[in-house]
Amino acid sequence: MENINKNISELHDLLVNKKVTSEELIKESIAKCHEIQEKTNSFVMILDDAKPTDVTDSLLSGIPYGMKDNFSTKGIVTTGSSNSLKDYVPFFDATVIKKLKEAGAVGVTKTVLDEFGMGCTGTTGHTGIVHNPWSYKRSASGSSSGSAASVACGVYPFALGSDTGDSIRKPAAYTGIVGYKPTYGMVSRYGLFPYASSLDTVGCLTRSVEDAAIVVDAIKGIDENDMTSWDSSDIKLKENLDGEVKGKKLFYIKEICDISNYANPSDELKEHLDNFKKTVELCKSLGMGVEEVNVDKTLLNALPPTYVVVSYAEATSNMSNLTGISFGPRGEGDNVMDMIKDHRTKGFSPLIKRRFVIGSYVLQSENQEKYFLNAKRVRRLIVNKMNELFNKYDALILPVGSGPAKYLDENMNIYNGENNVLEEHLQIGNYGGYPSITIPNGFVSKLPVGVNITGKVKDDINVLNIAYALESKMDYKNQLAREVE
Amino acid sequence: MSNFTKEMINNYADKLLIGLTSEEEEMIQSEFDQIEKNMNLINEIPDISKVEPLSFPFEVTLTDLRSDEDASEEIPIDILLQNCDSYEGREVEVPKVVG
Amino acid sequence: MEYKVVIGLEFHCEMKSHTKVFSRGLNGYNKTPNSNIDPIDMAFPGTLPVLNKECVKKSIMMASILNCKIPEYMTFDRKNYFYPDLPKGYQLTQFFNPVGTNGYIDIDVNGTNKRVFVHDIHLEEDAASLDHYYNTSTIDYNRAGVPLLELVTEPCINSADEAIAFLEQVRNIYQYTDISECDSKKGQIRCDVNVSIMNENDTELGTKVEVKNVNSFANIRETINYEIKRQSELKSSGRYNEVIQETRRYDDESGTTIHMRSKVDAIDYKYFTEPNIPRFKISEELVNEIKNNIPMLANDRKAKYISEYSLSEYDASVLVKDKKVSDYFEECISYGCNPKSACNWITTRLLGELNKNEISIDEVYIKPNMINELVQLVENKKISSDQAKKVFTYMLEENITPLEIVKKYEMEVIEDSGLIESLVNEVISENEKAISDYKNGRTNMLDYLVGQVMNKSKGKANPSEAKNKMLEKLS
Repeated sequence: MENINKNISELHDLLVNKKVTSEELIKESIAKCHEIQEKTNSFVMILDDAKPTDVTDSLLSGIPYGMKDNFSTKGIVTTGSSNSLKDYVPFFDATVIKKLKEAGAVGVTKTVLDEFGMGCTGTTGHTGIVHNPWSYKRSASGSSSGSAASVACGVYPFALGSDTGDSIRKPAAYTGIVGYKPTYGMVSRYGLFPYASSLDTVGCLTRSVEDAAIVVDAIKGIDENDMTSWDSSDIKLKENLDGEVKGKKLFYIKEICDISNYANPSDELKEHLDNFKKTVELCKSLGMGVEEVNVDKTLLNALPPTYVVVSYAEATSNMSNLTGISFGPRGEGDNVMDMIKDHRTKGFSPLIKRRFVIGSYVLQSENQEKYFLNAKRVRRLIVNKMNELFNKYDALILPVGSGPAKYLDENMNIYNGENNVLEEHLQIGNYGGYPSITIPNGFVSKLPVGVNITGKVKDDINVLNIAYALESKMDYKNQLAREVE
Repeated sequence: MSNFTKEMINNYADKLLIGLTSEEEEMIQSEFDQIEKNMNLINEIPDISKVEPLSFPFEVTLTDLRSDEDASEEIPIDILLQNCDSYEGREVEVPKVVG
Repeated sequence: MEYKVVIGLEFHCEMKSHTKVFSRGLNGYNKTPNSNIDPIDMAFPGTLPVLNKECVKKSIMMASILNCKIPEYMTFDRKNYFYPDLPKGYQLTQFFNPVGTNGYIDIDVNGTNKRVFVHDIHLEEDAASLDHYYNTSTIDYNRAGVPLLELVTEPCINSADEAIAFLEQVRNIYQYTDISECDSKKGQIRCDVNVSIMNENDTELGTKVEVKNVNSFANIRETINYEIKRQSELKSSGRYNEVIQETRRYDDESGTTIHMRSKVDAIDYKYFTEPNIPRFKISEELVNEIKNNIPMLANDRKAKYISEYSLSEYDASVLVKDKKVSDYFEECISYGCNPKSACNWITTRLLGELNKNEISIDEVYIKPNMINELVQLVENKKISSDQAKKVFTYMLEENITPLEIVKKYEMEVIEDSGLIESLVNEVISENEKAISDYKNGRTNMLDYLVGQVMNKSKGKANPSEAKNKMLEKLS
């Protein structure tokens, strides 16, 4: 009898009623991880000797989960899926890892990511490509690729992820599960390898909105080690999940959702946008108002490059500590600077090198005004616009991406110059630090697709409730991946 | 004809102490014009320079800070250096630094 | 040919605090390498800065004292560059929004007043320390993250004397406010010195040369004088074009400055706002609270010594020059010591001893309570003031207290009038000629005779008693 693919509350009940033990769950989980590893390559490491914990009042006690390999785990190798840290063993836990330990959850895997979180295909990790469990020929998206794929396979009910532009919420859509990025600062980033500090947010991948609420309840909280964290002790997520959404007002952006915006829409895109329309109708049937809103196209088109500029620039600075001097494999060289360069040259994959070159370029003093500062100005404009809209509406609802997961092919990572806001709008959630959640809303070409709900700062309960209500009206809650292609 | 030469690409990478293989150089060089073109979409917004840059997702203002007395405990040296490939006694060792 | 000299200073000083400015690592000298470490000091991945309130308050206090404009919010910026002593690959500093801007301080330069304008003062962190060996270097991260205050002047200083007078005034303020010990011997100070020269009537400034990381006031003076000479010689001989905009360093051994890099090789630091530290509101209440708690500065103490203790202006100046000396003086008084006596001992004997042995006042054996003990002994007429001078010397040589010395050398003044009388009688009987000389009008013989009594008593007789008794007997 398989238990591990059940949701958190069910597992907790089984544990409390001694129908199953923590040890059994962990054993089941680890066995399943080994099973899926060959085909999905979700894991940097499977912790075969993970120890069970006592079952307490805590909903997460005794339950196994996955840890994206950019969260510092004390005594356990944490690589960021990069060769520059391939043997690095932190001597402290990230705050969220510590909190989950305190809640009794048991980390059983370190999952693969796009190197340091800088990617959206799941192809740049140093242990190789992550394959989508729905179709091994396809990408699971990224950067929380391994976390999404493993949760989708049902090896455990949740995994930690991090989201800088869409890294939790897009993989969730492509693997048919739930990805929740809370309000910026709600969850401590201490111990998370940074990508872009003003955008990075800790969140989770689960198979239901309720589970996402339970997990974030356990990991959120002000942390004296993270000055950007704030006190959310009066926000109780699971407790307030009641699906009461009548009278809520949502909006979507015409320039993104309307098929007429696309010159040569593929069939998949048409199907995807139709799916979205159906979801909008579902919202209305729940008593929510949904309106179409215009946002200036010039502003929208500036979003993807804004992300490129701001995040790549911050990343170059955040990764400047990776020199191999006090940690990481030493480079070779007769002098220190050559030694540092050798470590970095060998340690970073070509794709993040490209991002670094761009980051370096936009921070040159002669380019700062034109690119870096202007990008930060665009950030203010979009945040102002969103805040204006959030004064009128409860949340923004949009389709995730242009359809289902993409095929893994060698051209995947070539810069094709496309500036497609439909693929990139999830960044809006990071620019303004907004709570944002993706849930599955159907299938295109037999593969899962998702819809995203984003709300105002600190209004996580509202956003979760809207997702919860919608989820209950569809058939995808708790769905498990199955190979369809 | 690209606006960017291989030297320029190499220079930006070198400023971050990163070396590029010739393939990497070529890949980045071939993409850079397009990358720059896209970045210039930022500058198509009228009067963009008049807007105040935003450095944080939302304005947070702290009113209190960590106390000076709040100190961390000493960390055993073998733990501090457990990931270090080259050290002498209690100190990290590197090739001689000149200049 | 004498040119007008234009100097600007960037003076870095390590601050005093229990923990570092952005980390909980201890801030304090520790000779065990890598013992004052919090994970962020070595920039382990995932670590984040945590700002220290005390450092912020102290920086606001200094900005206040320097009459600077203080911004509404405290923010920080990253200065990005690679160097083995910079673990994060960037330094946290204040580039866009320093804690104090557009200030000034009035100084006294050899009797003349001068106002030095402060461009800005800002709070930042120090780098790790490197030790160099034959073909390796080692890194000690104890110093990484130590709080620094950097004070940048306008180019308004015109001589080495002015520069040093300014720096001494700043050091004084740092010491009196307890913001920093400002001790060059402990490596707590570093100054970048910018020097240019121009013709007296020119409106355009000459070529600016920067000399980095000069680490003592003496070296700063040398640096300035050397640069003035070097640049002047080139300009006078028509080779001013050889004075280029460059960064140099001061070489201790040769007493000269040496080229490091030129302007074209200047590093682009890619400054941007630190995203991990939200802005901190510097409220009016906070600024007022800090202003009201500024401790007495040197000038305030000096004024007090003059008005309350009737010390001379000169003596008061000497006492306040070094805060430790001033504190020492005040501690003497706290024991009840007479201020003028304490002042005398400090200025006429103690400071000389310190200079001779190149030690500081907290390293010398003689403590304030001992000064007080010595003064009390004289005031209570237990010993004479001549003897007190000897006691002082013995204290330094033997490191024992005044009371112990008086006991050891049996220096206690003889009060017993019977004993004095018998000594007087002895002297009279042994000095017939002197007695008759005295009686014949040579009154100065009295001093000789009293001196004989003092000799017999090994200096212990009460001199005025002896004199009185002698006069009695001779009359």
